[in-house]
Amino acid sequence: MNDDKLISKKDVLERMHISYGQLYRWKRKGLIPESWFIRRSTFTGQETFFPEHKILERIEQIKDMKGDHPLDDLADVITSHVNAKLQVAFDQLQRLKWFDDTVLETCDIDRGRSTPLSIHETLCIAVLSRLRKTARAEELDLVKRTLVDRRDELLDRIADEKLHLYLLRKKLSGGGISAEISLVTVAGPKAVFDPDIEKVETIDLGHILERIKLDLAKTPEGEPPKRTAEGNTEADDER
Amino acid sequence: MNDDKRSASLSGAGQLSGGDYTRVSISGAGKVTGDLKAEALRISGAGKVEGRTDALSITVSGSGAFGGEVIAEEMRVSGAARIDGAVKVKELKSSGSYRVKESVSSEYVKTSGILRVGGDVEADIFKASGGFEIEGLLSADKVEIRLGGRCYAKEIGGAKIDVRRGGYRERGILLDGLVRMLSGRGTAELRATSIEGDEIHLEDTTADVVRGTRVEIGPGCRIGEVEYSETLDVHSDAEVKKQTKT
Repeated sequence: MNDDKLISKKDVLERMHISYGQLYRWKRKGLIPESWFIRRSTFTGQETFFPEHKILERIEQIKDMKGDHPLDDLADVITSHVNAKLQVAFDQLQRLKWFDDTVLETCDIDRGRSTPLSIHETLCIAVLSRLRKTARAEELDLVKRTLVDRRDELLDRIADEKLHLYLLRKKLSGGGISAEISLVTVAGPKAVFDPDIEKVETIDLGHILERIKLDLAKTPEGEPPKRTAEGNTEADDER
Repeated sequence: MNDDKRSASLSGAGQLSGGDYTRVSISGAGKVTGDLKAEALRISGAGKVEGRTDALSITVSGSGAFGGEVIAEEMRVSGAARIDGAVKVKELKSSGSYRVKESVSSEYVKTSGILRVGGDVEADIFKASGGFEIEGLLSADKVEIRLGGRCYAKEIGGAKIDVRRGGYRERGILLDGLVRMLSGRGTAELRATSIEGDEIHLEDTTADVVRGTRVEIGPGCRIGEVEYSETLDVHSDAEVKKQTKT
């Protein structure tokens, strides 16, 4: 699979136009997990490789955000576990580009709501927003009920088990009558279904959570502190 | 709020149970049993904290032993410190001997004595003018090494890496003498398996591979391979077996 392909450190720097300094700094700040650094012996000696898909995506995210966020905060934002107590202001949510307010009703959320949303509610909105174009109304409701039902354990399991949400349909026909049933499943990334099932949509829930955190971090709440690591270096230099 | 916080001073031989303190001062032979949380910890005799230490400032001018993790804004050592856990501080200055079993992470590290680390050293700025031995990765935006003893790091990585002959003279002869004594005289050189950075200047360095954007290989270096992307300068008194422009 694509996920397993490795890319050398040199190629990462070249492809992403970043420097050794940046890469090492991001590693120090916990933005690039230790486990992604894979040391291999090559004919030129020791070299470091990374899982290509993950590292390129991660660097893209970091480059996207580092302008308006101190690196130290980025680590909290990017790491895979979410803080279950994270709350999202409603007006903050409305500024996000993937937000679709037509799904609010399905999620039983009042449009004029002033109290902040839980991360769980936000996840539900994000998933439904993404499904809205392909899924039927009753399917959206089914998805929502699936997510709500297991809300307590879901957040941790998403990070630990890389859970995906699958929206499935299956046609049944016999005796001149045909019907279609919809199913929603939350399972690991490599779940196997019977061949008659049509996978309407597959959603990587961990990815959605990450997206939410990143997008929220990007949305300015007042003035974000301007502090680049480069600036820091010079100021702290002479002690 | 701080009503229940105490301040403690041990002089002579004494023991203190762990807990939350304002100031803790050990000037004789003292031991803190358990975890210590304090605003300031000062050890000028022989002090030991058996558990984890969490303080705003830690000063060791005698000998300090720490059984667990050390967390502080500022840590200054002019005697000898031994830490069995990891060190997470904002600023670390040591002119004595500093030994850590695990890793060190600090925004600023300045060592002019001897530094021994079993894991990685991570800093924004790392300045060394004595000797050191780092079993893992030495990573900093700016790595500045004035060779004042035997220096070893398995790997070095950062933005700017500058390694030059000779120690700091800013504190005069006394410090130089101490450095020489602690680092065991002998040749002042740096050894590493790999060194990676954007701007690299090396002297008296032996490394298997050096990778960088702008690389200067100064006198006394023996490098297996240099990979550079912009410029490479090799001093006439340096040996580079193989060079590749990428």
